[in-house]
Amino acid sequence: MLELRIALRFLWRNKVQSVLIILGIAIGIAVQVFVGSLITSLQDSLVDETVGSSAHVSLEPAGGQVAFPFTAQDRATVSADPHVTAVAAVQNLSALVPLRDGSVPVSVKGGTLADLDSVYGLSDKLVSGEISLTGNHIAVGKDLAEQNGLAPGAAVQLVLADGSTVETVLEGVFDLGAQAANERSVFSGLELASSALGLPLDRVSGVEVQIADVFDSPEVAAGLQSVFPQITVSEWQAKNSDLLTALQSQSTSSYMIQVFVIIAVMLGIASTLAISAVQKTRQIGILKALGMSDAKTGLVFLYQAGILGVIGTVLGIVVSLALIAVFGVVAASGDSGLFPIEPRLGFVLLSAGIGIAIALISAIIPYRKTARLDPIQVIQGG
Amino acid sequence: MADTITVSNVTKEYGTAVKTKALRGVSFRVAGKEFLSIIGQSGSGKSTLLNLLGLLDRPTEGSVSLLGTDVGALSKKERAAFRNRHLGFVFQFHHLLPEFSVRENLLIPTWIGGSKGAAGVPAETRKRAEEILDFLGVGQVADKSAEQISGGQKQRVAIGRALMNSPDILLADEPTGNLDTENSALVYDLFRRIHREMGTTFVIVTHDRAIAQQTDRIIEVRDGLVSQDVQNEYLDGRGGSSK
Ligand SMILES: Nc1ncnc2c1ncn2[C@@H]1O[C@H](COP(=O)(O)OP(=O)(O)O)[C@@H](O)[C@H]1O
Ligand SMILES: [Mg+2]
Repeated sequence: MLELRIALRFLWRNKVQSVLIILGIAIGIAVQVFVGSLITSLQDSLVDETVGSSAHVSLEPAGGQVAFPFTAQDRATVSADPHVTAVAAVQNLSALVPLRDGSVPVSVKGGTLADLDSVYGLSDKLVSGEISLTGNHIAVGKDLAEQNGLAPGAAVQLVLADGSTVETVLEGVFDLGAQAANERSVFSGLELASSALGLPLDRVSGVEVQIADVFDSPEVAAGLQSVFPQITVSEWQAKNSDLLTALQSQSTSSYMIQVFVIIAVMLGIASTLAISAVQKTRQIGILKALGMSDAKTGLVFLYQAGILGVIGTVLGIVVSLALIAVFGVVAASGDSGLFPIEPRLGFVLLSAGIGIAIALISAIIPYRKTARLDPIQVIQGG
Repeated sequence: MADTITVSNVTKEYGTAVKTKALRGVSFRVAGKEFLSIIGQSGSGKSTLLNLLGLLDRPTEGSVSLLGTDVGALSKKERAAFRNRHLGFVFQFHHLLPEFSVRENLLIPTWIGGSKGAAGVPAETRKRAEEILDFLGVGQVADKSAEQISGGQKQRVAIGRALMNSPDILLADEPTGNLDTENSALVYDLFRRIHREMGTTFVIVTHDRAIAQQTDRIIEVRDGLVSQDVQNEYLDGRGGSSK
């Protein structure tokens, strides 16, 4: 591989130039990987905050109704959709909790502990007390408990819309991760909520469904709607169009940044290689006079680009992963408000491929310039 | 046996809009292993002629045959391979590659010609490089960078590079144009010894009549035409004779 050997010597001879362009590529790739991973993780984190522990698709009673029948057969039908990962049949009711400083509005969700765990992961989010949701036991959000001095063991009265009351006992406090939810949420067993609403156990006021990829929700919702035409099926994206627009424009600006970084890197390599091709005109001319073919002399610059591209890209990825790791340490240490960045292998490999590809593309001009060089132009001169 | 060189009615025009006729119908033959010079004033067409002999350029009209091959019929790639295999070049400027050591500069033509490139240089090729370096008196600087040696040494290394692939014809364009008298004399002594010991045909372009007088045959070019082609027997003390 004479061309490779010459390419290495040319690069070695102009060490400063080579190091600078490698750094240029490395910084470009590092920015590209870091920004790309940051935005992806930010979006994942936003989506997770929004729907991580709530329904992705909901079955609700059609207009005017308060409940609909949901049999074991129906549950099996919903679960049969391969996207579906969790199904919870729930009774939703609003209530007031009379406390020292007046009444606090809460929304009570009744369901079996297994169902509620599958959607909300309640058992894992317990911060004090215990959770069984048997009999008249309820669990409440962290902020609701703290703001009103409620602790496990406390008696809590729920006042329903029709003025009737339900006496319950607080058994556990959970943290759903968002303050708004923690201020209003109360969970109870299915029986307690059903009897409060005056409904039999096989008629529910809602079914909450979680799916593997949250962005599949419109498709899953449409599928369920066609199976249950008498029920209203809704999905989270339709209810969160503002968030989705924000995510979309964030993605667009992230792509723009990445594209411009890549263009800058490409211009950098292209100009460096073009300068190198001019600097090495005499050498290329003499190599041709000695019998090296046009294509092979051109290859020298392709190899140079490849070597610069590979080293720069690898260095860039190492730097970006280091940045991500540092970011992760800062995020993990206390109340920075940061979230950890998860570098995705596919994206990192794609960025590496792009880095090497643009290096090779940048070599096209010097490749052609070199291939066209006529040795007579250089051998007569010093 | 085929002629070493046959040049028939060769013309060379440069330019498209404004045409310069650098050669206007040149013919000559080199039958065996000769040691000849091409002489003429600056601008007479010597370098143009040498570039045609070196397959670095193509004639506008006429034909050039080297070692029995009509080189006009060769593709660009075949011409490059022919140069590597059969021709050696020495220019006014040494054109060594500063990125490589003296020894590596010598090996470059074998790398270019070798099927395995730079990877597998056979031991006998390495040995040949050492022999040539010693023969040229630059063995002691073999490991230095091509930049770190003197001007005279550089030109000797360039000659060594031209010899590496045992060329049939060595083409030299003002090879001592950049050297002092002492180094020039050394180079012509070397050329003579190479011609004698290796049987290489030499075509040396020069504008210096004193140098041409040391060769066996002098072809004089004037305004793109051969004005004189003489066997030079001066060196043998028998005086020149017109051919
Ligand atoms: N590449 C070229 N383009 C145009 N004219 C050229 C070129 N090379 C040589 N010439 C012209 O051709 C003539 C012969 O040049 P050259 O062969 O270099 O002469 P010499 O080597 O005898 O000095 C000169 O008039 C020169 O100007
Ligand atoms: Mg000349």
